[in-house]
Amino acid sequence: MHKRIWTVLATALGMFVAATNGLAAYPEKPIQLIVPYGAGGSTDLLARAIATVAPKYFPQPLVVVNKGGGGGIPGRVDVVRSKADGYTLLFGWGSGEDLVVPHQRKLPYDLFTDFETVCRMSIHSIALAVPASSPHKSLADLVKAAKSKEYVTASVSTKGASVDVTFLLFGKAAGIKVTTIPGAGGADAITKLVGGHVDFGGGHPSEILPHMKAGRLRALAVALEQRDASIPDVPTFKESGYDVVTAGSVKGVAAPKGTPPEVIAYLEKKFKEVSEDAEFKKIMSDLGQPVNYMNAAEYKVWFKQAYDQFGLLYKTLGIETK
Amino acid sequence: MFDVAGLWHGFQIAATPVNLMWGLIGCALGTAVGVLPGLGPAATIALLLPISMKMGSPVTAIILMSGIFYGAMYGGSTTSILLKIPGEAASVVTCIDGYEMAKSGRAGAALGVAAIGSFIAGTIGLIGLTMMAPPLAEAALKFGPSEYFSLTVLGLLLATYLTGESALKGLTMAIVGLILGCMGLDPLSGAVRFDFGVADLQSNLDFVTLAMGLFGVGEILYSLEKSGTASILTTRIENVFPKLADLTRSGWSMVRGSVIGFLVGILPGGGAVLSSLISYAVEKKASKHPEEFGHGAIEGVAGPESANNAAASSSFIPLLTLGIPGNASTAMIFAALLIHGITPGPFLLKEHADVFWGVVASMYIGNVMLLILNLPLIGIWVQLLRVPYSFLAPLIMVLTLVGVYSVNNNVFDIWVMLVMGVFGYVARKLKFDLGPLLLAFVLGPIMERSLRQALLMSNGDGSVFFTRPISGSLMAIAIAFVLYNLWAARKKNRAARAVASSEAAK
Repeated sequence: MHKRIWTVLATALGMFVAATNGLAAYPEKPIQLIVPYGAGGSTDLLARAIATVAPKYFPQPLVVVNKGGGGGIPGRVDVVRSKADGYTLLFGWGSGEDLVVPHQRKLPYDLFTDFETVCRMSIHSIALAVPASSPHKSLADLVKAAKSKEYVTASVSTKGASVDVTFLLFGKAAGIKVTTIPGAGGADAITKLVGGHVDFGGGHPSEILPHMKAGRLRALAVALEQRDASIPDVPTFKESGYDVVTAGSVKGVAAPKGTPPEVIAYLEKKFKEVSEDAEFKKIMSDLGQPVNYMNAAEYKVWFKQAYDQFGLLYKTLGIETK
Repeated sequence: MFDVAGLWHGFQIAATPVNLMWGLIGCALGTAVGVLPGLGPAATIALLLPISMKMGSPVTAIILMSGIFYGAMYGGSTTSILLKIPGEAASVVTCIDGYEMAKSGRAGAALGVAAIGSFIAGTIGLIGLTMMAPPLAEAALKFGPSEYFSLTVLGLLLATYLTGESALKGLTMAIVGLILGCMGLDPLSGAVRFDFGVADLQSNLDFVTLAMGLFGVGEILYSLEKSGTASILTTRIENVFPKLADLTRSGWSMVRGSVIGFLVGILPGGGAVLSSLISYAVEKKASKHPEEFGHGAIEGVAGPESANNAAASSSFIPLLTLGIPGNASTAMIFAALLIHGITPGPFLLKEHADVFWGVVASMYIGNVMLLILNLPLIGIWVQLLRVPYSFLAPLIMVLTLVGVYSVNNNVFDIWVMLVMGVFGYVARKLKFDLGPLLLAFVLGPIMERSLRQALLMSNGDGSVFFTRPISGSLMAIAIAFVLYNLWAARKKNRAARAVASSEAAK
């Protein structure tokens, strides 16, 4: 008799726990996508593109919340500290702050134990470009001209960031001395490039595409294995004969550690549907951002490899780390 | 030359009900803080920065802020004329002849001429802005790191020497600003500097926090010293529409003031305060009745009041084309643009044409609004002078505290702001001008970055600053300016010594 009561109670308790965990009904309230950067940047635009088409696939709205400043670190700390219930997600998982910055300095969280990977949405490749007035039409032209000079200059967003690493790697592969000129972020670097104050420069396609369309810049190469879908006419470094492949800057989704696996699986599936949506693809191509979906398991492995590659590049290129 | 299509597009943005409303609020608020002594446009914009962050559209936010800035140029004259206290720093010289006019019963004429002059000059300044900004934005691409370095050096020097009464005090404040600007992340390598082991200091000091402390809290504390309300000369204002004789006498003063204001306003570090001082000096020289100056010469009101408005308009040119703010108020607007993800610079006009033309068009509309607010409705603003500061001060203080917390939801920011507030109060009490500090805080990182970028590009060769034509010219102006000031100071010293020794001889 008593035994039966206990069984009933235990079952009820079990159901109660399951219900309060929100597994059955997830999501039952809006999901926050924390963008650790200001509004209007490439990560923010991507998150908003997802939020726009999300109502087709999610029963609850996705709300984009910008927590910018501090080089993207405070926004990440916020996510780490929030409840692991699937209602607070980090958007931009795999950006420079995750792949590159940890090689430079200590961060207030652990990259591999404080987050649950959900999926990858896009890769922002790194393209090398010259001002439209430059005589160089190809990488070969650029390298040939550079060999007759003591050094060439390249504007990059920040020191030690993925663009900087890529161009230094190019210098090594081509046997030329590249002096990178760090700026105050992507926009500043591109302004210097358009003004013709450096020999070459570049950044993510979303940053240089407006200037390519306006005829102010000419992209010569992209540092991926295959061509970037957003600038399909631009050859890869490999096609031009230089072994320069970097992970660029990656835009993925992560959740705080301890988020139930069912929730992760649900999000993974829904984000995949978003990535295949025609309207979403259209918005993304307008933004100059390719769609490169990868599920949690694949992305986790891929991310670790990309992270290690940057660590290795730091060592071989002799970039100071501290 | 005159982009009609662009401006028309701007008017379509500026004339939407929401933008019209915020434009009007900005102008009214600007007039109010212009009238109220102790609270200037820079402090008001600083207080509103957190609110602007929550505004969805950057155009609307900038329309509001610029409205406060040029609106204050209108309001400032009212207090100068009626109380002999400058409501706003750029109206200091208006006290001299404006108050004399009011004493002899011509307050209405003085207020009227100030408002009309402000309108004409503001509009002339805007036409200049409309015509000059697009070609300048194009030319701004020619500005590489060495040019930016020279320009910021020149700008800081001008701001240091010209805004305050003492160059040494200005220089001290600028250096404090430069040091504060160095705290946090190194602009090139991202290394952490001057954090004193405090985690909250590892990111750069927040501009909003700093500005609200120095200007908001500092000004409140300073104003609290003056107890009671000053006695207003007259609250009945009559004949604000000037007589024809007044207008013909002051017409050329307005035109001269506009041109001076426009040219001085473009200079980095120049601006409204300086232009009004220069205009007053020019008017005194140009006048047929120089003996009337100091005893209620209408030109002494019309010229400076026109100049400060033209300068307010034209100071948007370096801000919007080069991304170089020239005074404290435009530094605030610079920060507001950045908060909204817009980098002021050569591409602002191309990539954010909506913002540029929307704001410019709103300023044309705003000037008309201000003319109405300041001519027929002048009586209302005069009543504002009767609100006791004991009501205003706590209200502003609460708004400041809530505002600064709301930016990052970080209690640490409140402490930083309060420390800055006390610093601002002490500095003002010792007659240190805070403008150079704030400008140096904004320009310092640009200066440092440009210097290091230029040296990286030249492989460490410092001669690039002098051999590149634009950079070299800017440097030459900067050096000539310093030499001239040293020479002038020496001459003044000698004269003083000569007087002293001749007196001793007696």
